[in-house]
Order: sequence, then structure tokens, then C-alpha cells
Amino acid sequence: MAETSSLAETYFERYREIIPSYEEFLRALSQPLPLYFRLNTLKLRDPERVIKGLGRQGFQVRPVETIPWFFQVEPREVSLGNTDEYYLGLIYPMTLSSALPVYALDPQPGELILDLCAAPGSKTTQIAQWTEDQAVIVANDKRLDRITALVANLRRLGVACVATTVYRGEQFPLGINFDKVLVDAPCSGEGRYRKGYEGELLFQKEGHTNLPAIQKGLIVRAYDLLKPGGILVYSTCTVNPEENEAVVDYLLRKRQAEVLAWDPPLPSHAGLTEWEGRPFHPDLTKARRFYAHEIQAVGFFVAKLRRTA
Amino acid sequence: MKKERKKMDPRATWPRPVTEEERAQILQYLEERFGFSPALFEPYEFLSTAKNYWLFAHTPHREALARVLRVQTAGLLFLRKVSGYLKPTTAALQRFGRLATRNVLDLDRFTLDRLRLEKKIPFTAELETGYVILRCEGDIWGCALYLPGKLISYLP
Repeated sequence: MAETSSLAETYFERYREIIPSYEEFLRALSQPLPLYFRLNTLKLRDPERVIKGLGRQGFQVRPVETIPWFFQVEPREVSLGNTDEYYLGLIYPMTLSSALPVYALDPQPGELILDLCAAPGSKTTQIAQWTEDQAVIVANDKRLDRITALVANLRRLGVACVATTVYRGEQFPLGINFDKVLVDAPCSGEGRYRKGYEGELLFQKEGHTNLPAIQKGLIVRAYDLLKPGGILVYSTCTVNPEENEAVVDYLLRKRQAEVLAWDPPLPSHAGLTEWEGRPFHPDLTKARRFYAHEIQAVGFFVAKLRRTA
Repeated sequence: MKKERKKMDPRATWPRPVTEEERAQILQYLEERFGFSPALFEPYEFLSTAKNYWLFAHTPHREALARVLRVQTAGLLFLRKVSGYLKPTTAALQRFGRLATRNVLDLDRFTLDRLRLEKKIPFTAELETGYVILRCEGDIWGCALYLPGKLISYLP
């Protein structure tokens, strides 16, 4: 008799053809995701202090070779939020793949950058750190309670180059031409789904929001906020092509944008040019897909675009 | 029932940039009290709200940003104006405190924990009266007020 599929397996079945090593992907769903943190180099560049300090509290810390200033921590089930290192703003716990959009953005000191869906601030603070606190970042989120969490993180890390705003991303005021805009869009979060002991899906988002509609609104507004030649990075932590390639494809049909190739520090796959019979722009192969079982972190999608007009 | 969400304050405005004179006063205070080199703050400007000074990266875009956007916060809350004195915030000291050369108070872990718990402890040291930077095992924790015979915590 065939084994009954778990809820998790049934859920991901529609992606069987696009997820590489699909069986391995399913097996990996049962494993808890590794825990990582970023060292806050605005305060500290020598990781020894943090490695020793966390070591005294029972954590084993080892650097991630491919991404500077990132460290993997065991045991992964224990929160870092109660440690001195967290309180003092020496570390920012975040998943490894969350660093990828900032890699694609390649922020430089002096640039004017908008992080359109910023809270709780992992990427905002990473941009600040990458630019030595010398890019000017507008960090926006549509909810004030989430901005409060963002501001707490900015304060904890000692970031001085960020102004925070509360607008609906799709309606962010026009009138400033940003050098770069990051849209780390609200998404279904499939990249972080795990399988529970009984095959149920963990971390599944509730609700019936039309996410692709929101994402399309965000990406078009982000484009309109760019200076000509400016860079737009669109990212999600979901596998779903309707929230990824279809959204970028929508922008390419509505505006004069160009998909750029970029060189990610983790194993990746080309974006799709077709999904369920619907073709996408051929340049979408330059967008990158990251799968949880290949990178030992939350699955991600990142597209880098340039405004050409 | 629909959850009530806090809305942004429609009066939110960009904080006022300080005058040259005000900036000079702030830098002089930071140098005299804590030994912070003024050069440290060259990439930044100070913005003022009613009771606070904020540190924000220098940018030619500030006026455009102020014209178009209603901001919630701009930069790092840096100094509070407390009854005529300037008190550095925990966030400011945790970021820049390791570059201070004056009025840095080294505490052992036991004393630091006691101060955090009791908020005010009997204490005598060779220090100028006023705000001091708390350091423990090389880490900067924040600010305290030293008065003859006692130490008052400003740690959150």
C-alpha cells in the first residue's frame, strides 16, 4: 500500500518539477533550520569577544565561510535574545539567506537607499553595517508596531544613518529619487516552512491576503521611486513563482526595467521562465532561487533590476 | 473583532538641524566630559527635538527628505537634555563608548549586576561628579550618574 502523503508533502507537491533534488528537499523539511547571527561591525570587528562570551553560555559558534561576519550557532533551538551579546547590540540573529538581498543591492557609502518593507530591520541594519553607517537609508514599514521593533533594533545596534517612516509601501510618497530600493516583500514564507512530527506544516502563514497583488503594487512603486539607472532588488522567502517571477514579469511589462545578473555567495538556481503554462520574460533566468535544503537556511528568491528610463 | 492598530502621528516632522554654535557646544561637552574626539562625529550632524539630540548621517538629501516624508525617527537618539545637563543615551554609549578616554568607570560583574538590580548603590571612586560610562570586562553597558558616595544607574 502506498504511504500516505503528509500535509507538508501534499502542500509542496505542486513544486515537484521546479525544486531540485525534491526528495532531499522533503527530507530536509523535518530538520529545524540552523541558527545564525551577524556580528555588528559598527561596534566590534574582532569576533573572539562574542565567540568566547556565547561559549561561556553554552553556545558553539563557528564562522560561515562564504558570508563575512555571519556565524552559525548550536544549539539552534535556544534563542540568543537573552544573551549579553544581544543586549549590547554586538549581534543580530538572522537567517543566512536574509543576507542575500543586500548582496544583490551592493550598497555604497553616500547612497540614498529605501528599504520599503523594512521591519524588523535585519536588512536595514545590514546595509548600515556594509556602508559603515554612511549610506542614508529610509526604512519604511506600513505598521507602526513593526516600526517600533525596527527602531529598537536600530538603537540596539547603534545605527545612525536611518530615518524611519510609516507608509503603505504601494503609496510611498513620490518626489525623492533613490539610488537604490529594496523590496523584501511580505510573502507566504514557504522558504521557512518545516514539517512537524505528524507531517503537519509548521510556520504556515494564516489568512487570505492576495499577496501577489500587494507585491505587484510594491514593486511598481519601488521602480517609480528610483532615479534613472537606479537599482531595485526584489526578494521574498517563498518558493511560489506567483509571488516571485510573476511579480518581476509584471514589472517588466509595466515599466522599462532590466533584469541584472549578480553573483550570489550561496548555491542558487536560475529564475523560472515558465510556470503552469504561463511564460515569463526570458531574462528572469538572471533572478536567483535559493532552496533551504541546499543552503541550510530559509529558502529565498532575489531579483536585481535596473531602471532604464 | 478587528484589532486596533496604532496609527502614525500626523504631526510627525523632521527634527531641527542644530546651529553651528549648538554643534560646537555638543562637541565640546563630549570632548571635555568623555574625551570623544570631535573628528569622530564629522560624518554626522546633530538634529534636535524638544528634549533630545539625535545623531544622523550627513547627507545632501536631508532637505528633500524633510520636504517629502513624515518621519517617525531620524538617526540615533544620542543625548537627552536633563535639567540643564546633557545625558548620553545607552545606545550612544554602547556604539561609541569604547572610544571614550575620560570618565569611564570599570565595574566588576558583581557590582554591575547589583547596580542594574538596585538602581542606586553606595560607591566611592576617583571620578568627577556627573555622568560616567559604565564598562565591564571590556564591554560598554551605558550610563550612570556618579555623585559623591553613590552611583545611580541609567541602564534601561
